[in-house]
Amino acid sequence: MLFNSIDFAIFLPVVFILYWFVLNRNLKAQNLLLLVASYVFYGWWDWRFLSLIAFSTLVDYTLGVLLGKEEKESKRKIYLWISVIVNLGFLGFFKYYNFFVESFVDAFTFFGQDIKVGSLSIILPVGISFYTFQTLSYTIDVYKRNLEPTKKFIAFAAFVSFFPQLVAGPIERASNLLPQILKKRTFNYCEAKDGLRLMLWGLFKKVVIADSLSPIVNDIFSNYSTLSSPVLIMGAVFFAFQIYGDFSGYSDIAIGTSKLFGIELMSNFKFPYFSKNIGEFWRRWHISLSTWFRDYLYIPLGGSRGSKMVGIRNVFAIFLVSGFWHGANWTFIFWGLFHALLFLPSFLIGTNRKYAEVKNTRLNVLAMISNVYRTLLTFILVTIGWVFFRSETITDSFSYLKRIGSSFSGIPYIHPNGYRLVDYIVLLVFFIVYEYIIRNNERKPIGFKNRYVRLFVYILLVFLMLLFYDDGVDRSFIYFQF
Amino acid sequence: MKRVILKFVIYSLVLVLALELLVRVFHLHNERPERYLDEYGVEKWVPNQEGYSVTGNRKQNVGAYRINNFGFNSVYDDYTVSKDSIEVAIVGDSFIEGFHQNYTNSISRKVEKKLPNIKVLEFGYAGYNLSEELNLIASYNHLFKDIDRVVIYMRYTDDLITGEYKVSGRLSLDTPVNRLLKKSKLIVYAKDIGAFDPIKDKIAATINFVKGVKTPEVKETNKDAIYLANFKKLIKTYNYDKEKNVLLLDYSLCSSEFLSYLKQNNFKTIDFSSDFIKSKEPKTLIYDQHWNNLGREIIADEIVNYIKNENIELVK
Repeated sequence: MLFNSIDFAIFLPVVFILYWFVLNRNLKAQNLLLLVASYVFYGWWDWRFLSLIAFSTLVDYTLGVLLGKEEKESKRKIYLWISVIVNLGFLGFFKYYNFFVESFVDAFTFFGQDIKVGSLSIILPVGISFYTFQTLSYTIDVYKRNLEPTKKFIAFAAFVSFFPQLVAGPIERASNLLPQILKKRTFNYCEAKDGLRLMLWGLFKKVVIADSLSPIVNDIFSNYSTLSSPVLIMGAVFFAFQIYGDFSGYSDIAIGTSKLFGIELMSNFKFPYFSKNIGEFWRRWHISLSTWFRDYLYIPLGGSRGSKMVGIRNVFAIFLVSGFWHGANWTFIFWGLFHALLFLPSFLIGTNRKYAEVKNTRLNVLAMISNVYRTLLTFILVTIGWVFFRSETITDSFSYLKRIGSSFSGIPYIHPNGYRLVDYIVLLVFFIVYEYIIRNNERKPIGFKNRYVRLFVYILLVFLMLLFYDDGVDRSFIYFQF
Repeated sequence: MKRVILKFVIYSLVLVLALELLVRVFHLHNERPERYLDEYGVEKWVPNQEGYSVTGNRKQNVGAYRINNFGFNSVYDDYTVSKDSIEVAIVGDSFIEGFHQNYTNSISRKVEKKLPNIKVLEFGYAGYNLSEELNLIASYNHLFKDIDRVVIYMRYTDDLITGEYKVSGRLSLDTPVNRLLKKSKLIVYAKDIGAFDPIKDKIAATINFVKGVKTPEVKETNKDAIYLANFKKLIKTYNYDKEKNVLLLDYSLCSSEFLSYLKQNNFKTIDFSSDFIKSKEPKTLIYDQHWNNLGREIIADEIVNYIKNENIELVK
């Protein structure tokens, strides 16, 4: 079920009413409702894959209970590995099997050996990368004794499948989400209000920014070999905003929806395009994944504590795995590698955490110019990275970038559907200015004190949704494929 | 909790009112004239209506229309035909009707500018197919018999789906409820941009699900054979005048069998496909399949060339 669908517009109020008006006195019943609602939400897409979530839930619940009882370290390690193998096994099979087979065959062909290994027709279950990491975090935390295992199966199953963030995150930690599910929730007017505002803002980013740019981006990336440099630059910039609008829009709707049920999810985006270096970008982009890799991969590998060489190895490991997590394609691996290379200089000179703390100090003109320059430079580098992310193949990405640097003249770009490009450029300028205004609090995008200003913003956002509504576009979210 | 729900409802109402106002202020909505069935059983627009046709979410295209006293979009009210002067009629669907342009800049006006001695009368109505076009010509035979040439625009893929004339279901669109809903310009606008389509689709799917109706399997039928049979039936029924009538066609959409049939049976045709392909600029509008100014210019040139080649003036 999509957040931006009629199904969800009916589903959400029904679940909300049952949750607060019918079952509000019984926590177990509320959790059971969340579980059933989450399975309906997921099963709306393909009910057959519910068995995967159910199996994962069962395995990690059982292992959690066993880990809680077991004192012997060797046995505890075995339980942990069972969870890792089962979860990553499913992920590996459904997401990476064909990639490995094809890469294997390509490698042998390259060396003159013709081998035949058949690939399989496998459907990728929506959100498998997200819920797999979420359940894994539970078992790892229990293994590390950072979290008490729960014996409440319904609550645990609701944690694994919690519908607002089930298919595209934020990837919640058990230590944050599970205690909230285990605890009695009370309705909070302010939280619900903020939730609704976040949902509106998320919907705006999805419908107006992502969906309206999508057909233009698709056309430019499909026909890049005939287009000129300015058009290709525009295509890459549009994609940067499309993917941001799509994914952060989803996260906002997820966080907002959760708030309606009295549950706080972690922030997933903090205005990443205002970052002043790559390190800051990764502290603002897909935060739930970056911190997951930091806590469960980078730090266990030694982080930056060892020698410089170990630090560099760990940086490459985290970025390559992060790229690979996004999809079974060399383009994503290369995208990860590209970011590792961008990150490396600041890591080596120790400036990667320079902008870790948000400071609202007044800046002089020179410092402001310097910040604008750094922000623009970071955005350009990130946008070059998006070309790898968006292209079908590595060859396409390099050809695309090569044309940017070589094809300066060409006929003016006209989209087959005749979209008026100036509309979208004006829209993006408006969007950037608005994001700059609200940049200090990603949880309150419409948090203006004056109620008339808020009302004006509501009207403006919905009006823009009508002005940029496109009934011909694919409405699914980009990150569903991951 | 009740406070949130109450506020949500109040804000939603304020929002709807504000949007209604904005749509009206920026004139984003389309204005559709009313339809009727005249005394000859021909579906037309109610005479003497004026308004603006708006296409696209952001007014990508605006055209002023003027329904004359005959029920078609035209600068002329007087559709009387003189035996001494030269008149050409263009009959067709929305492409000829031309709500997507100012009625003063229609294909007919473009033709007249290039051939000042000829008067071009327009009989375009959105949704007309060949059966309706031939029925119109037959019903108004007293008018068409004195017109020198009749150009009939036929879109092969849409206009041959029936081999007999029936009053269309379009008139049911003008029900009292629909007229009432049309008073809200926000509803008109949202409907036109397709914002209600997901709701309509969902309702239809739910009704089908409740009734147990399965989506019919698409059977592979020989559409071209059906279209040809329908065409043959229609020209026979209406005693198609091969001397006077000329079919305005996009050859690239037609089957080779259909084109061979036209050639073998000496049907006069104007093909605009090659000139459309030659021009690299877009020939259609934004969010709309109708011809833009360039497209209409090409069509007008094709008609002018045809008239010149036929030497209608000399014959007269």
